[in-house]
Amino acid sequence: MEQILERILVTVEKPARYVGNEWNSVKKNWDETEIKMAFAFPDVYEVGMSHLGMQILYKIVNDRPDALLERVFAPWVDMEEKMREAGLPLFSLESRKPLGDFDIIGFTLQYEMSFTNILNMLDLAGLPLRSEERKGDMPLVIAGGPCGFNPEPIAPFIDAFVLGEGEEAISSILDVYRENKRQNSTRQEVLRALAGVEGIYVPSFYHFEYNADGTVKKFRHDGSVPPVIKKRAVVDMDKVPFPTSPIVPHTDVVHDRIMLEVMRGCTRGCRFCQAGTIYRPVREKDPEKLLEQARELVCNTGWEEISLTSLSSSDYSAVRELTGRLVDTHGPKKINVALPSLRADAFSVELAKEVQRVRRSSLTFAPEAGTQRLRDVINKGVTEENLMEAVTAAFRAGWSSVKLYFMIGLPTETDEDLEGIVRLAKNVLAVGRDVSRSKGRLRVTVSASSFVPKSHTPFQWEPQNSLEELQRKQNFLKQRIRGKGLVFNWHEGEVSLLEGDLARGNRDLAPVLERAWSLGCRFDGWSERFDFSRWERAFQDFDLKPGDYAGRRYRHEDRLPWDHLDAGVSKKYLIKEHSKAMEGTPTADCRGGKCPGCGICTSLEINTSLVGGKTIEPVQDSL
Amino acid sequence: MNRYRIRYKKSGPMRYISHLDLLRTMERSARRARLPLAFTEGFNPHPKVSFAAPLPVGVEGEDEYMDLELETPLQESLLVERLNAASPPGLEILECKEIDGASPSLMGLVDQATYSVQNIRPFALDDRQLTEGIREFLEQQEIIIEKKTKRGIKQKNIRPGIIDLRGTSKGDRITLEMTLKTGSRENIRPEEVLHSLGKGYLPVNVEDFRITRTGLYTADNRSLFAVS
Repeated sequence: MEQILERILVTVEKPARYVGNEWNSVKKNWDETEIKMAFAFPDVYEVGMSHLGMQILYKIVNDRPDALLERVFAPWVDMEEKMREAGLPLFSLESRKPLGDFDIIGFTLQYEMSFTNILNMLDLAGLPLRSEERKGDMPLVIAGGPCGFNPEPIAPFIDAFVLGEGEEAISSILDVYRENKRQNSTRQEVLRALAGVEGIYVPSFYHFEYNADGTVKKFRHDGSVPPVIKKRAVVDMDKVPFPTSPIVPHTDVVHDRIMLEVMRGCTRGCRFCQAGTIYRPVREKDPEKLLEQARELVCNTGWEEISLTSLSSSDYSAVRELTGRLVDTHGPKKINVALPSLRADAFSVELAKEVQRVRRSSLTFAPEAGTQRLRDVINKGVTEENLMEAVTAAFRAGWSSVKLYFMIGLPTETDEDLEGIVRLAKNVLAVGRDVSRSKGRLRVTVSASSFVPKSHTPFQWEPQNSLEELQRKQNFLKQRIRGKGLVFNWHEGEVSLLEGDLARGNRDLAPVLERAWSLGCRFDGWSERFDFSRWERAFQDFDLKPGDYAGRRYRHEDRLPWDHLDAGVSKKYLIKEHSKAMEGTPTADCRGGKCPGCGICTSLEINTSLVGGKTIEPVQDSL
Repeated sequence: MNRYRIRYKKSGPMRYISHLDLLRTMERSARRARLPLAFTEGFNPHPKVSFAAPLPVGVEGEDEYMDLELETPLQESLLVERLNAASPPGLEILECKEIDGASPSLMGLVDQATYSVQNIRPFALDDRQLTEGIREFLEQQEIIIEKKTKRGIKQKNIRPGIIDLRGTSKGDRITLEMTLKTGSRENIRPEEVLHSLGKGYLPVNVEDFRITRTGLYTADNRSLFAVS
């Protein structure tokens, strides 16, 4: 294998993707380690290595004396071709062992458009795609991550899903697996045991019949497994292991910096946002702990930038104190502190100004919608005044480039809201012309992604715009956002449409997915690889077409394909939020002290925890 | 100014990382080693590190050079020790020597490189065939290769840049030793020579060989370590 690989590696693009041996990578003794697990990221190395979750699990599993975790990424198309030609199976980076030699393969489900890569990786490993066809001592295939909250389209390919946070779940899985392995349990017995673990969903024990509109007609589960699977969440973020010796890639990866996770979850409650639900409650880390972790990370990695990672880092209670102290400690060593997600207000810009003493880049804000009416519908607590203050401060402080993120196709959106995007972009540019010192380099970039309704959000019942409508809206903006200093970017509507199908789809989409893969679909999230016509053919073969699922409106009383998967949020709350959205009534951020009753804290028995031991008292009966 | 010339080896898994990746990796190793790096001025300060000649991806380097500037002086042996302890497998610091701040840059000094090329697949070629092929190849006044550039395909005569080329064969192992022009004035890559040899002179394929750069030299054939 080594010799074949050596010949192949000189012929492929970016061979550094496949060789491992990076600083802090861990290669344990293969023969002396009881449980061998592979972490499989269904995208290329540069994307996968930017994922904090992988680094967390890598540490937790490799810190156990009885287990090892090795990495595998999706080979780029050139490498896949060479591997298939040479009959080389997909292998792990650390020990270069074929994937089929592992006990467990764990896929991460970060975005729907990576699903075909999961199938491709199973195939490259020489494993049957379908769970029911994997036998005996073939590896157990598990998966987790945000798309695990509606995994139904890939359910037939995966043996078990992990719902929610993996820090503790991974240990439970390995413990159960080890005990069963020692007792020589059958595959079925292992799955049965796993189905009893909190947060583990073994899809083969759950059976569905669907109505023509994709909703659930009949749901049945095997007697011994719970009817509803509740997500796992960490109680105390200061007490779970955090990797302070993460792997430092050699090659240029997407997030090539220290990722210092300051908190988990977000209190904002934007109604389109699935992460807002699935990572609740908010749990902030102690700033002293973070400073200590940052010091260790700087020493152990050599990275020259510390990024404060979370869903909304400027909301972290001690953000000012933390950034100030990080800059004081590490600035002299030419280490930059970065805030990747800025709230659109003057405070955030002030903060960015303080931390960016070393380097400059553009600033990004996400107003998401063009009018106050629509921002109230989606509960994006940003006003035009906030945004204007923010960009004024940014241009004054010397930034010449501002990026604005919007979504098109949001529920209740009209052309007036699109006009609002155009107007905002032009106003921001006008502010820049007024106050910026570097007028020549002034640039406002507007990015419009398409709204995709997601499970476990108040918009889970809402239809997605049709492809024609999305394209019309893109053209509307394209024609109006132009001229010196204005740049307009958009996402391909076709991709959003498929995302919408997969995000709210059911198990009937599994054969479509399999067909799409066999027609050659890979790396569908990469515009140069994406081929919509193949997907159309795949849907057609099952008398469906892209957008069939995405375009559906569900009713509140319908049983949805993911209703057996519990993110802790109460359905009553989602319905109420949905109704408030339609009325254009915002819901206050629970950081303000008033619990809106999402039910997550009470359901999980985990309280929101803020710096200094503060919490937000949840209302007991949610509604 | 505390300027140091470092001789290192890039091998094994490290041979697959690009020159840009190497830059990044060296900087991070130096930071982990807590070397008192000197930085450039401006908005984007970079550590003051410079290299002799980029190594093509896939090629090992046994005798590579870089210059590094530090804020405060550091004992040479300590620098080697600390940098080695913080370097990933495949990067090995061999020697270090403090040099004059005003001495010419590595890029300006380097003029030629020696390569040793060996087959990784068993491959039979008798000595006479090998010598004949190479002799015939070197007899050419012009050896034209085509290079893809942004503006289309460009032709380049590599013959003047081939200073020396010889081969030996032992059982199923063949070894080619090359001395090629390297650097900003003229740069011939060993793959280009192999590729051209494969066009009618010798039955060779680029993928079947492992290439090692064995040395870097000045125009008057001195070691980059000897001048300072």
